Amino acid sequence: MLPLETFKADVAIVGAGGAGLRAAIAAAELDPSLTVALVSKVYPMRSHTVAAEGGSAGVVQAHDSLQQHFDDTVTGGDWLCEQDVVDYFVAQCTPEMIQLEHWGCPWSRKEDGHVNVRAFGGMKIERTWFAADKTGFHILHTLFQTSLKYPSIRRFDEHFAVDLVVDEGRCRGVVALDIASGRFVLIEAGAVVIATGGAGRVFRENTNGGIVTGDGMSLAYRHGVPLRDMEFMQYHPTCMPGTGLLFTEACRGEGGLLTNKDGYRYLQDYGLGPPDPWPRKKAMELGPRDRLSQAFWHEDRKGRTVQTPHGSAVNLDLRHLGAKKLRERLPLICELAEEFLGIDPANSPIPVRPAVHYTMGGILVDGRTASPLPGLYAAGECSSVGIHGANRLGSNSLAELSVFGRVAGEEAARFARTARRDDNAALATQAGDAIALATAMVRRTDGTERLAALRREMAQSMEDGCGIFRTGPEMQATCDKLAELRERYARVRLDDVSTAWNTEWLNAIELGYQLEVAQAIAHSALEREESRGAHQRLDGFTQRDDVRFLKHTLAHRDGANAPKIGYGDVTITRSPPGTRAYGAAGEHAEAALGAAK
Amino acid sequence: MTVEPRHIEIEVLRYRPGTDAEPVWQSFRVPFLDDTSVLEGLQAIKDDQDGSLSFRWSCRMAICGSCGMMIDGVPRLACHTFLREFFPGKVRVAPLDHLPIERDLVVSAEDFVRKLEGITPWLVPREARTLAQGEHLQTPRQLEQFRQYAGCINCMLCYAACPQYGLDPEFIGPGLMALIHRYNEDSRDGARAERMELINAEQGVWSCTAVGYCSVVCPKHVDPANAVNQNKVNGALDWVKQRVGLKGASK
Amino acid sequence: MIPPVEAPRGRGYRRPMAGWWRRNPYFFWYMVREVTAVGVAVYALVLLAGVVCLARGEPAWNGWLAAMRSPVSIALHLLLLAGMVCHAWSWFDIMPKTMPMLFVGGKRVEASTITRAGWVVAVVAAIALYVVARMLRP
Repeated sequence: MLPLETFKADVAIVGAGGAGLRAAIAAAELDPSLTVALVSKVYPMRSHTVAAEGGSAGVVQAHDSLQQHFDDTVTGGDWLCEQDVVDYFVAQCTPEMIQLEHWGCPWSRKEDGHVNVRAFGGMKIERTWFAADKTGFHILHTLFQTSLKYPSIRRFDEHFAVDLVVDEGRCRGVVALDIASGRFVLIEAGAVVIATGGAGRVFRENTNGGIVTGDGMSLAYRHGVPLRDMEFMQYHPTCMPGTGLLFTEACRGEGGLLTNKDGYRYLQDYGLGPPDPWPRKKAMELGPRDRLSQAFWHEDRKGRTVQTPHGSAVNLDLRHLGAKKLRERLPLICELAEEFLGIDPANSPIPVRPAVHYTMGGILVDGRTASPLPGLYAAGECSSVGIHGANRLGSNSLAELSVFGRVAGEEAARFARTARRDDNAALATQAGDAIALATAMVRRTDGTERLAALRREMAQSMEDGCGIFRTGPEMQATCDKLAELRERYARVRLDDVSTAWNTEWLNAIELGYQLEVAQAIAHSALEREESRGAHQRLDGFTQRDDVRFLKHTLAHRDGANAPKIGYGDVTITRSPPGTRAYGAAGEHAEAALGAAK
Repeated sequence: MTVEPRHIEIEVLRYRPGTDAEPVWQSFRVPFLDDTSVLEGLQAIKDDQDGSLSFRWSCRMAICGSCGMMIDGVPRLACHTFLREFFPGKVRVAPLDHLPIERDLVVSAEDFVRKLEGITPWLVPREARTLAQGEHLQTPRQLEQFRQYAGCINCMLCYAACPQYGLDPEFIGPGLMALIHRYNEDSRDGARAERMELINAEQGVWSCTAVGYCSVVCPKHVDPANAVNQNKVNGALDWVKQRVGLKGASK
Repeated sequence: MIPPVEAPRGRGYRRPMAGWWRRNPYFFWYMVREVTAVGVAVYALVLLAGVVCLARGEPAWNGWLAAMRSPVSIALHLLLLAGMVCHAWSWFDIMPKTMPMLFVGGKRVEASTITRAGWVVAVVAAIALYVVARMLRP
């Protein structure tokens, strides 16, 4: 038995996407004498930040204001946001976007050389910075290449985190598997930042890459940190049927239309109209994502959707934009449509349907990204810092990576500087246990369950029970199914018994993470007896209930049992819960508000 | 509306270190529809037939750069190559050429990443600028000057395409040269001189013999051949400037 | 800063490069292109021989001309001409790759335009040369 390899770091960061890289840079800048271990199961440029398309929010226009960004965000979140955190967030967005620009991010420009901004769903005024339709790609590569400047950042590329080590109530490091060699390493640290992204892969149809499996959420969850507001899963309304690949919201920002099988702009039937003049902010196709996904669901029930080999869809009509504008502003979209569907968007509409895209909830952290476990921080999609509430606005997520990635890096660095670092024997023992647990799966010869079968059943069940619209009995069925799958998971048998580059083994560990996160989602959803934001019910709880449920859901792990669901208060400062009004209703509401002032 | 799948043979080059003395071909048959990618074919093999098949993948939309492979002898992204193209024949899938095989379809990216770290691949501003001063001004025309080269997804297809890299792995290679060029052409950057030494080295542009296949296979139309060969002119001019005593680009 | 010169770390199975140019039609035609450079060099030597003969006086010059008119020579010339055309084709093809981005009237000039421009200039120059040669005949 080989001795345990150990690496001593000051800050360990798990996940090297936008948030993880920004945290690493922040820690390195705060104190270049600290060693920052950046652990990622893929090379950083493969992180899922790379797939984000549309843009990142930051107030720049003279007629825009932080107050308006705040209002749009809190309204979009259906008042489940931590308003003090949103205040901090909107004030930091623009400086962070400028910082990215200084680091080389190729933002799209106006003729005068200033950064250009565009309209995005749910936002009253244009404030979305963009780099063609590959904003996430450019942000990620800018951050990765910039991170190479700092010699104190030590990367552990293609290292898979299998556990945290926690001693005397403090997070003390990470146990990771070197994928290529099959050897484990204990990265001992003064503070740990989790930046592992969302958990969209627990659903069948999703926009996410294969790596988005809720790893970090599960790691924190297993060590007693609650997962907050997990029931709020965002469906992106315009995705490719079958693969779930994303057609960016920017299509609609540029003036794209959604029509049903009769060529009718159906969104006007769902409180988002009138259809003209077009484009118009916060109306019709520029309404918030949850409303658009819900409208699709209704159209589908009414039989007004188009049929494709991969299920029903509606039309994303970009023809009126013209070939030139399409190539210039939406090149990635044109490519996707042509290669997968054989469609030229200049000539035909693209069939689209909603697919799971973003996890609003995550690891409970405060406004400084600190989790209840001392020494453990979280930033990015894996965290619930309180800015998205029940529904996220497009372009707030990329901004979140920079704003809270920086906070997490700085806070973790400060904590690590004063953290006590003794008693490594206890850590080594814990690491040994984690390694034994992970290795047992590969050695098991008497298993009966096939990995892919469990994964497919989980994904189908989540789609059925925790979809766009939910009912008690369906959610309960999913909860029961997940309990069964967790039990069967203990009997998984792998084809691959090697230890080097055994991706089946990694997929199996990921499935373990996914099942636990899925349970947190399903049980949180079942217990929330109201409809708010992305959590919509058809079974009597069809309205928002601010009396009982103006609260955050907290899912606590309970071993092999279902999670225990509790609740936490929402911080409301300036914006008391109101009505989310879009389209004409929204315009009337704003006019009335203006007149009242 | 259910469509009946057809079936196609996928032949994969396997290699298990410690078990196989050298790579061996193994055949599988998978169901497919018109929009089924080679990647999805491999996933079907791994899920339902042989879980030990290892390959990298993530985004499924040709932006993460993970799934580069030799598909019927041509470097391509598996997620963006469709099985319909090869039917009714079989399709042969092998790891990217010129790179060492770690396992099955997984090649070593170590050389690429190590070199990436050494080419000053970050913006060195011409002059210091505070956040309060706002963004650098850059016109759409100035952005156009380097935007194409900034589109590289680090998929390494160009390294699989470059026989010079295959013959001599010391060569910096097309993709990284494109990245160097991306920064040199960015109006905000001032480190052209620092990077000239890399460009003008034997393992810089001078290992390139303008085969041009790198630009043919690049899935993001970065045109690395252009980046490399443009810099032959730059490198030569710089050499002349130095000999003549003019203020050259490099030190 | 030049990246470290030592070979990449040992990990992994390295496939041999032998016969690489036969694996892909693109590489085969690249090798043909490279070989045509030999043809260019050969013809330069033939022309050099002609110049030397010219300097040596009329008998030597006539001897060279006679050799050029022999059937073997004609056959060689046709082969070399084919090689030169191939060489020119591949050269004009790769020419845009050696040039920085060109903008005319705010629009990017396509690689194909540059290639075509190269051919136009080459054909015009060849025709002009032929016309001048004819005019200079005694």
